[in-house]
Parts: sequence; structure tokens; C-alpha cells
Amino acid sequence: MTMTHKVFSAALVASLLAFGASGAAAQDVIRIGAPLPLTGPLSPEGLKQQRGYDLWAETVNAAGGITVGDTTYPVEIVYVDYASNTPRAVQTAERLITEDRVNFLFSPFGSGAAKAASSVSERYGIPTVAATASSAEVYDQGYQYLFGTFTPNDTLTEPLSDIVTSANPDVKRVAILARNDLFPLAIAQEMEKSAQARDLEVVMFERYAIGTMDHSAAVTQMRAAQPDWVFATGYINDLILIRRQLADQGVDPAVITMIAGPAYREFIEAGGALAENVSSAAWWHPAVRYDGEDIFGTTENFNAAWEARYGGEADYAEASAAAAGAILQLAIEKAGTIEPSAVRDALASLDVETFYGHVRFGETGQITSLEPPVFQIQNSRPTVVFPEAIKQADFLFR
Amino acid sequence: MKNWLILLAGTGVLALLPLLGDNYLMRLATMVAMYVILAQSWNFIGGLAGYPSFATAGFFGLGAYTSAVLQGMGVPLFASWGAGGLAAVIFSALVGGAILHLRGHYFAIASLVTVEVLREIVNTTPDITGGGMGLNLPIMRMTVAEHATFFFYSMLAVAFACMACAIVVHKSKLGFALRCIQQNEDAANILGVNAYLYKTIGFGFSAVFAGIAGAIYASWVHYIEPPDVFDVLISVKPLVMVLLGGLGTIFGPVIGAFILLTFEEFVWRTFLTVHAAALGVIIVALVLFLPNGVLSLTREKLGLRRRAAGEKR
Repeated sequence: MTMTHKVFSAALVASLLAFGASGAAAQDVIRIGAPLPLTGPLSPEGLKQQRGYDLWAETVNAAGGITVGDTTYPVEIVYVDYASNTPRAVQTAERLITEDRVNFLFSPFGSGAAKAASSVSERYGIPTVAATASSAEVYDQGYQYLFGTFTPNDTLTEPLSDIVTSANPDVKRVAILARNDLFPLAIAQEMEKSAQARDLEVVMFERYAIGTMDHSAAVTQMRAAQPDWVFATGYINDLILIRRQLADQGVDPAVITMIAGPAYREFIEAGGALAENVSSAAWWHPAVRYDGEDIFGTTENFNAAWEARYGGEADYAEASAAAAGAILQLAIEKAGTIEPSAVRDALASLDVETFYGHVRFGETGQITSLEPPVFQIQNSRPTVVFPEAIKQADFLFR
Repeated sequence: MKNWLILLAGTGVLALLPLLGDNYLMRLATMVAMYVILAQSWNFIGGLAGYPSFATAGFFGLGAYTSAVLQGMGVPLFASWGAGGLAAVIFSALVGGAILHLRGHYFAIASLVTVEVLREIVNTTPDITGGGMGLNLPIMRMTVAEHATFFFYSMLAVAFACMACAIVVHKSKLGFALRCIQQNEDAANILGVNAYLYKTIGFGFSAVFAGIAGAIYASWVHYIEPPDVFDVLISVKPLVMVLLGGLGTIFGPVIGAFILLTFEEFVWRTFLTVHAAALGVIIVALVLFLPNGVLSLTREKLGLRRRAAGEKR
């Protein structure tokens, strides 16, 4: 027992010492903290963000680094896994700022965690770019240091509703099934508003709990409501399950819209034939064409860089993560310093074209200048149906 | 008397921590204090009375939401924290009356369900609680260091109160009654111990401090959502901490809290993606090799000494 005791005390002392050890960091590199859900239920999303950040950092470092005044700094991204646990994400943000001495921060995944962690970076005055937080509620606290690369949720539901109602006036009844979570619920509520504004009848609005493994009760209720349009929200695993259960129970409306998931390859692979004709909207699509001033330049260039690094096409979450880096870089170069408040001001006044779209942040820090494309899975590919300029096909009804 | 001295000395040393000026260390210390509160709270019902409660997350979340909603209505900070604790006690009395007649696994499952019920209630009342969208708390305009210090001292004060309460209860009639219940509830009843009453009081003690801790936590992070404050891990960790430290002891929960947080932090830093598995292995190893907690090491020595002394006589 005494042996165990000694080992035990040694371990305690060693780990306590480890707290103090990792303090000072040399200031010849720009360090950006990235708390990500690399494990746990949100890990697919976390890995996407990591791919985007990595591509940006590698591209910057291959070009020598970020030029600030007379010096050129390479960038280093400090990843910490928060295991899909929001309180841990908040703790991670503080650890990155106080111990790893990061200069800037990328938000954790999704609206809820980004919002929770933003209070930490705000207190320390560290400019923070959220690559995957769209809900207006994230930005409603009057924070000065938080910037988001997704436009508010209604910029997705409004064009979608326009397309559906103008192309098919027979669509009258809408059923909404939403994950009871910040982003999925917020966008479902926007959909309800968009539907009501167009005199569509919302015949069902149900929330399902996070981690629900069986949607049959909700789908049964949906079948009874006889919707022409099913609008389901959640993350990719939820949506694949819901799509299967809709098919199992023979619910076959004219329109099925799902947010957010159909843009991902994984959704099409897992859904197979069931994924066909599922419509969605996202903040970016590989088919958009912009000529940016950022490190990637044109969207074609970005797509080529992505293809070379990972193979295939980037989805909107991956592109947004890369864009978060590119935008931060533009702001640092514009500020001419890495001093946090100067970079914050540069971000706030940014008005620039990028591969990702035009970038201008509104009063709250959320981007206001993007025009999110609407797309539909046709022949196992996400096919853009809006906006007109980059349209690849017409919207299909069942 | 010795217990009081240890408590005062320990609290006194910890209270000097802000002098180091390390905000992240302060965050960890605040979490240790929170873990101590949760572990000691569980110890009242789980350690003393032997009722394996999984309701801690329910009390914690209820306290968090009560104080957050009240603060949104303009109630001052400290009053809302008190209300968080009060709400948890009232809830524990109501639920305790219903489920404390169950024993063993049945009680464990029933207490676990109360957390789920509370979470669902919060989820389905978005007008009051924000539902799945979560709830904002008023932001405090103070500097980073002030913020860290304020919440550290708040949590430490509650931890101190909780520990003081534990010392008093252990020596009191209540503590005696709870231990009787743990050993043989039927016998205790026959001997005239009002088991039902004492169990409910014990359950209340396990609720009040957890509720206040939840309330402070909510103010500390500014934003809460149901999956965070009604997290089942908040129910499980106190159990692990008490088992690590020593079941039914006064300082066992404190030692357990330190060990758990130290290991969490150490493992999380060292293993980027396999930390959950590594932590699990460590906990299993500890429970296997030290089934009665770290405090049992000292107790074993004492026991040996006493036996040796007895043989001499």
C-alpha cells in the first residue's frame, strides 16, 4: 500500500507541476487557439473545421507567413479537444488564452458552444472568429470581439421558401421537426416565420431531444398531418435517421428540406437513393464563383487547393473554417499589427471580397454580405438551384 | 476540533491563491471548490445514509436555472443564488418524499429519472427558460482578474459552508441516524429512528449546496443550456470523487475532488483524443486498488496501531 501511495503522490505532484510549466511562448509566431469537438457526438463536425483551418495554415506557411508591418510571422494553430462538452469548451478557451498565450481564437463548433465560449474571449479582449455559428442569438450580447462567418438563419429559409412557393403553388402544408438545440431550433423558427409570411399552413411543429434515437412517434404524427413540405433540422446523424424513418413510414411529401447535413458527402453516402431530391441551403457551395483578395484568391483556386490536399470538394463548414482563417489574416494585414484591439477594429471595418464571398460584418459582428445558395441532391450530387448566377438545375418536386 | 482546524487551515491556504494571479489556475481552483461541494453534497445521502443518489445534476441544474430566470427578472445576484439553493431543497423534499422509500438500484434509477424530468421540463418551457436555445445571464462588467477572484471566493465560501455543515452533521444526531440507516434501516426503525424523516433531511442537505453551486456556475459562465447543467456526468462525478476519497468520511470528498480534477486536467493535456478512455482506465485502476478510497490508507494504519495497542493490554 505504501508503494501505491508513493506512486500516487508522485503522480499528483507531477501533474500539478505540469500546470505551471507551459507558460511562456515566444512571440515570433502568430498562435491561434482552436477548441474543437474532436471526440464525442460532434466529432464529424469538429474534424471538418480542423481540415479547413489546417489548409489555411499550411497555405499561409507555404507562402512564408503573414506579413505584419516589416515582419513576417508563420501561423500556428493550437488544437484542444473539448469532447463535444460545452462547459469544457469554455474552459478550453480560457486555457488557450491564459496558458498557451494565443493571439486569436477560433470559436468552438456550433451556435451554443460558440456563444458560451465567447464570454471568455470577450473578457480577455481576444478577437474571435466563429466559423460555424449562424443564429442571431449568438451575437445578441453586445460583444465587441466576436465575429461570425455565417449569415443569420433567415437568409437560408427566405430564398428556399421563395423557390418552393413560386415553382409549385400546390405546396400548402408545412411540417417542421426540429432538434431542441440552439441552431436547429432557431432555424426551424425562422422557417415557421417564412412559411407564415407566404400563407403556408404550418400543420406541425415538433421538437425532438438531443440524442433522440427514434423519431417514429413524430413521423407518425407527421403522416397524419399530411404535409406537402417536410422541414427537418438537426445535425447529420439526426437527419439521416429522420430521412430513413420518413421512408419507412411512407411519408413522401413533394418537398423534403433538411438543414444542416445534405451538403455533406456523408449524408449522400449514407442516404443513398433516399438522399435524392432532398433540398437544403448552406452558406457556401463549391459552385459559387468569387474573385477574392485573400490568400486563396478565387473560389476555383480554393477548390483546387482543397482537391490537392484532401481530394474531393469542400463543403460549406470546411470552407467556412478556411475562410475564418483567411479573413483573420486579411484583418491582421490591414491592422499592420497583431495587437488584439487593433485587429478587432480591422475585422469590424472589413469590406472585402474573398473566395468564400463578400465579407462585411454587421453591428453585432455577424457577417451580413453573403448570399447563401440553395441546393438539392440530384443524381447523388448537391446541385445549386439558387441564386440564378450560379444555378446548375431547376428545383425538382416529387 | 481537529476537523475544524484542518478545514480552516485548508480554506485559509486556498484563499491565498489569487495572489498568484494566474487566472486559469483560479478557474481550476473554482472547479475544485465546485467539485468539493458536489461530492460532499452527495456524501450526505450516498456516503452516510447509503442511498446511491444520481439526482445531483438535477439539483445543480435546478439551482442554475432558478437563479438564471430570477436574475433575468431583475433579482439581485446573491438573492438569486439563495433562491437556487432553496428551489433545490424544496424539490428534494417533494421528490425525496416520493422516492426515498425505494432502496438500492431502484432508488438509483428513480433519482436518475428526476434529472431527466427536470431537463425535459426546461426543454419544453422555452418562454421561461429559453428551452433548447439556452439562457443568457446578465454580463458583469468587471476585469478578468476581478471576475476570476469573485467567483473563486464565492465558490470557496459555499464549499466551506458545505464542509462545516458536514462536520456538524457527522457529530450530530442526524449523522448518527443516517449511519444507522446505512447499516440496517429496518433495525434503525425498530429502535425508534425515524428513518423516513432523517433520509429526507439528508436528501435536503445533498440538494441545497448543489443548488447554490449550480446558481454560481450559471453566473460564472453567463450562458446555460439544458444539456450542460443537467449533464449526467454531474451526477456521476461526485460518486467517483467520494469513492476515490473515502465513503462517508468528512475529508474524503475533498481529496477525491482534488484527485479527479488533477487527473482530468493531466490526462486531457497529455492525450489529445483518447483522454476519455485514459481517464476511465485510471478511475478503474484506482477503484480496484483502493476500493475504500485514499483515506483508507491512513485509517488502515490507525487500525493497525489500535490493534497492536490492544494486544499489549
